[in-house]
Amino acid sequence: MKLLLVGCNYKTAPIELREKLAFDGAKLTAALRELETRYGCEAVILSTCNRVELYLARAHDQPLPDHGVIAEFLSETHQVPVDRLVGDAARAACAVETATAAAQGVSPTYALHNVDVIRHLFRVVASLDSLIVGEGQIAGQVKRAYEQAHAQATAGPILHALFQHANIVAKRVRTETGISRGHVSVSSVAVDYVRQVFDHFDDKTVLVIGAGKMGELTLKHLRDLKPRRILVTNRSPEKASAVAAGCDGQAMPWEELDDALVEADIVLSTTGAPEPIMPRRRFNGILARRENRTMVILDIAVPRDFDPRIHDGDRACLFNIDDLQRIREQTLHERHKHIAPAEAIIEQEVTRFHKDWMRRRHGKFIAQLTQEFEARRKAVVEGLMADLNGAVGPEDRAKIEYAFRKLQNQFLHGPISALADDAPEPGRHTLLEALRKMFRLEE
Amino acid sequence: MLDFLARVTIFCFAASYAVALSLELWHLVRPRPITRYVAIGFGAAGALAHLVYVAVQPLPLAAPAGSLLLLALILSIFYVYGSIHHHRVAWGLFVLPVVLGLVVLAVLCREAPGQSDLASLWTVFDPERFWGVAHFVLVLLAGVGISVGFVASVMYFVQTHRLKAKLPPSPGMKMLSLERIEAMNRRAVLWAFPLLTAGLAVGMILLFQKYSWAQSLQSPKILSTIGLWLVFAVLLYMRYAAHVRGKQAAIWTIVAFVFLILAMASPVHPFAGGGP
Repeated sequence: MKLLLVGCNYKTAPIELREKLAFDGAKLTAALRELETRYGCEAVILSTCNRVELYLARAHDQPLPDHGVIAEFLSETHQVPVDRLVGDAARAACAVETATAAAQGVSPTYALHNVDVIRHLFRVVASLDSLIVGEGQIAGQVKRAYEQAHAQATAGPILHALFQHANIVAKRVRTETGISRGHVSVSSVAVDYVRQVFDHFDDKTVLVIGAGKMGELTLKHLRDLKPRRILVTNRSPEKASAVAAGCDGQAMPWEELDDALVEADIVLSTTGAPEPIMPRRRFNGILARRENRTMVILDIAVPRDFDPRIHDGDRACLFNIDDLQRIREQTLHERHKHIAPAEAIIEQEVTRFHKDWMRRRHGKFIAQLTQEFEARRKAVVEGLMADLNGAVGPEDRAKIEYAFRKLQNQFLHGPISALADDAPEPGRHTLLEALRKMFRLEE
Repeated sequence: MLDFLARVTIFCFAASYAVALSLELWHLVRPRPITRYVAIGFGAAGALAHLVYVAVQPLPLAAPAGSLLLLALILSIFYVYGSIHHHRVAWGLFVLPVVLGLVVLAVLCREAPGQSDLASLWTVFDPERFWGVAHFVLVLLAGVGISVGFVASVMYFVQTHRLKAKLPPSPGMKMLSLERIEAMNRRAVLWAFPLLTAGLAVGMILLFQKYSWAQSLQSPKILSTIGLWLVFAVLLYMRYAAHVRGKQAAIWTIVAFVFLILAMASPVHPFAGGGP
């Protein structure tokens, strides 16, 4: 099995270059076919906003194209000068072929081989190599990349086994560690808070104050909760109407802000006001009119719109941008604690995949070897029984057969285990060849 | 078989509940689904042993120990049911301490065997004791409602504390939303009040057939039960007439629970000998 990975990611290449190297639908299909026909290898292309990676594999001992050749392929496909993909030093010697070296600025693309490819893919799919550790999207993106290659018939037995195993790794890391626990986007954290207060939303009113860009994603998340109605207010009636039209809401005059706050259950405030629009005294007047109903205020404006002293965790739950960012940082910090256990799982799975593959690869030889020894053992036992000429009873015969079988298993255990651990290097005699010669087994 | 069941002791189910609570506490530190499932298993085993104990032992149910054990049993079944239906919510952390507290209180209030002439569980089917049984069942069910309201109130305080401190949702201590907890409290109180009122009315009628007002008001059980009813009346007035919610409603529910415990743990009034 030979594996090669050539790619770039957010650590090694600027976004402008990643954008140029991205593979969309039509380009991806064409590239997969071209890789297969031009280099005669299996191919999967993983293209996301944070990385573009080409996974190539070959079952036979013929060499795979090197880093420079694949860089030229990328250059040709995307019309990007090859110098921008591989640094001069790397081109000259092809010596710099690791992601680390690429990250150090030597080359915006990196190349990995064999077991390093397996390890890299498992780290990627487990979201250990992501911009935000533990994010959940990458596992789905890897799965889609494989499915696209499978649809084009460019993913053969090696990449099929590798990507199937990658799915298992992603699931194991996600369930056995806390690496994907909690939300890390400000809008998701905000909705988490809302869900801690409210149980159902079909009788709730959302009030949007202002029309800041910051609030767009949070408003989208709030809309997904399907509230009864959305009210929008802004100093500019035109802006209020525009935001209301975009979210199936109802615009309200700015002068009716207090009345709207009496009605609202969830408030999203994103004004660009230079001073708080809701001081404590004014808010207390509103609170008195609300018959003790609880209200959640997501104040993501900078400077803040609501006086922070109104937060009591009971009738008024106020969360500003700093609170939400703090939770985001805490969640990320918590996730980082799970990196070491996740890496340990990945190492286990790399070893397991490699051993499984080698066992599968040598399966034919192992069966041949076992059959050969079975035949020899039976012949020896039969010969022995003939020599003893009936002096041995059925019980003793069974014991003798058991002893010979045990000896055979013990004898074969060493070579079979060694084969499973074997990592043949190109151009060198493999253990398989040695064992064939040693036991005189024909290919 | 009956001989084997008769060997189930209070220690058996109290220990099961204690293990379930310990596992719930461990789940706070290291949240793993398996820990919660094992905790539910221990809780369910405890509830089963508890049920066997109440069914087999000649428990005087109208006496403090008997009624406290029966209330604890119903709450433990509530815990198992809640944990299975909302297995991610930390029910055990809130319900199991109440269950264990009631069991401990029952042990402290227990009379020596044979000293009580009060009827056991099976006498509830005796037609001559119908009104006594009706009084007991109504008050016990009201007690369940008040206990659930108490659990909801404690949950409410914990959740408001978390919100006030702006703590993120914790995987080890996932809780119901504030709105859901408040609804749980409201329903428990609404359910308990008519049962309590009817139970008290039956009890009063039975009581005044034998004793005068002055005699009855000397009993701490009667006084605390009347106190409980008054707290409930105030609580309902505040909730529906004065629109008081949240923390204040939770405080009044906790006060009602304290009165309930006082009423249940107080010595039995002489008339109860005719009840179950």
